Amino acid sequence: METCSRSGIMNLCSLIRTRDLCCFIFRVLSKLSGIAPGLLKKFRQHVHAHPSQKEPVLRTLSELPQDTLMDVFATLEIPDLVRAGSVCSSWRAAYTTLRDLGKYKLSQTPCLLYTSESAGESVACLYSLVEKRTYKLTLPAPPIRSRYLIGSSHGWLVTVDDRSEMHLVNPITGEQIALPSVTTIKNVRPIFNKFGVVQKYEYTKRSWRGDYLGKENLPPHKLREYLHYKAFVFPETSKGTYIVVLIHNPYEHLSFARVGDDRWTWLSPHHYDDCNYKDGLLYAIAKIGEVHAFDLSGPVVTMKTIIGMWQNIMCENMYLVLAPWGDLLNVLRTGVEEGHDADPATLVRNIGELQIYKVDSITKTRVEFKWLNDHVLFLGHNQSLCLSTKEYPSLKANHAYFTDNNALWTMGFKSNRRNIGVFDLEKNVRDELVSPQLWSNWPTPVWITPSLATMNMK
Amino acid sequence: MASAGSGDEKAAAAAMITLISSDNEKFEVTEATATLSQTIRHMIEDGCTDGGVPLPNVTSKILARVIEYCKKHATAAAGEEGSSSSFSDAAFLEVDRAFLEELEEFDDAFLEVDRATLFDLILAANYLDIKGLLNLTCQKVADSVKGKTPEQIREMYNIVNDLTPEEEAEIRRETQWAFE
Repeated sequence: METCSRSGIMNLCSLIRTRDLCCFIFRVLSKLSGIAPGLLKKFRQHVHAHPSQKEPVLRTLSELPQDTLMDVFATLEIPDLVRAGSVCSSWRAAYTTLRDLGKYKLSQTPCLLYTSESAGESVACLYSLVEKRTYKLTLPAPPIRSRYLIGSSHGWLVTVDDRSEMHLVNPITGEQIALPSVTTIKNVRPIFNKFGVVQKYEYTKRSWRGDYLGKENLPPHKLREYLHYKAFVFPETSKGTYIVVLIHNPYEHLSFARVGDDRWTWLSPHHYDDCNYKDGLLYAIAKIGEVHAFDLSGPVVTMKTIIGMWQNIMCENMYLVLAPWGDLLNVLRTGVEEGHDADPATLVRNIGELQIYKVDSITKTRVEFKWLNDHVLFLGHNQSLCLSTKEYPSLKANHAYFTDNNALWTMGFKSNRRNIGVFDLEKNVRDELVSPQLWSNWPTPVWITPSLATMNMK
Repeated sequence: MASAGSGDEKAAAAAMITLISSDNEKFEVTEATATLSQTIRHMIEDGCTDGGVPLPNVTSKILARVIEYCKKHATAAAGEEGSSSSFSDAAFLEVDRAFLEELEEFDDAFLEVDRATLFDLILAANYLDIKGLLNLTCQKVADSVKGKTPEQIREMYNIVNDLTPEEEAEIRRETQWAFE
């Protein structure tokens, strides 16, 4: 130590020590962040009152400072968090604070959401890949087993009821939000009976070029078999709301609505197959590989092409995945049909192959990845995900967790065996997720990332 | 290691700090070890550590463990800085990996303590603001409650259920699914 230069400070220190060392320390400590105010207070009371007495021995975790408890809880998966939050009042307070501030562990491991006849019509089953067990959640009406599941992102399911109307449901919180009526979609009009009740929908078919291809009048419960394909929910943080994007028929057009809107806005016709969202831009990939980016933030929607169509490409599904390291990935999935044509009930659509490409928006090229090392994919009727096994240690590295995504199988073949499992990207082989299978074949199970988020819509 | 403004690294490395536990035991540690604690780092920066740093919240038993942790991790941090500053060849990466593995083994062994000690370590890490130690101990508690029912957690940690019947009913109503 430089005695000379420090002598003044040392004198000051000894002065402070003789006068009130504790107060000085507290002044220093109070400047620091990360120290529990409660703890500091406890410390202060203690030394001021009894300078020579030892800190009382605390021996129970319920007395941990709230911020420390929150540090502990912020590493838990939601089922563990919920249970920990009901141990005592102090733990409950830490849980509710985390939940209300949205500061719980946001990187929840995806679960498989399915239904089963034995669990009941209104029960959604959540199969945890971490605990390898199922949780059963009772959802609001109408019964989940009577709905079609057309999407899952950020903890929200997008469902279609037997009037072909859509809802968002968070199975964890039970919150449900009605989306704008299906009759506000560009190619759907209601046909009322004499009592003013919707009797049928007029469904107009146009090609992606806009050519008129005819009309059909469909009963309310039938429209969903024709119109809906896949839907997504994306938080629009700049506006504090959520955007719901719907790929719908004919020919996989794109429409969107913000939660709270009273109608759908038609965006683009283009045989879309998958969407994702990043930094205010909606990315959509067409079945022919073309990737578009839509800026939905301004009064006028703008669109630019990230990469053009892919010549001579054949696949069953195109996925658009945001890699944690920043790349935009284009994943191609092929399928193989197994079973006997003579007996349609035996048909199964299995995953065939997965090819992964990085989309380079500058050179407008695709670069193939052989495998993903310590990453995994979640593909199906959910928002496509790419996650790191370092962050999600329960998942198998270099594997893809898949569910059905072929429209014939998500909308039809309701009694046939589902195509759900884990695909090894290195060996190109699929494995069962769990055996025997737990789920009913219908509605088609879907991956969901559990969330305690609420939309708090009035 | 950071040397609190001193240009002479050797002098800084040799600088010793005295930490005084709640039961008046004195521990001499290097500045590099002590400054893993942000609380002590700021005290050093304010030039207020001569004559020892009293830590009335930490017993000698716990302080000894905390110092053990800091010594190991201060060495690790110094090693990391040395190896990453000018070398990046395979041999050095190998050394890094071996070092990290050793550190992980140390951390695992370090956490082999009874629950009362773990609890005191968390409080000490929080009070002394030692981020690595706080993360390590919090993760240990988090791992211990995984897959457990509230009753099992209470039993494990001697926690009294002080929730009112109304609160219990509300929890069951909102999140019954997690308890079945």
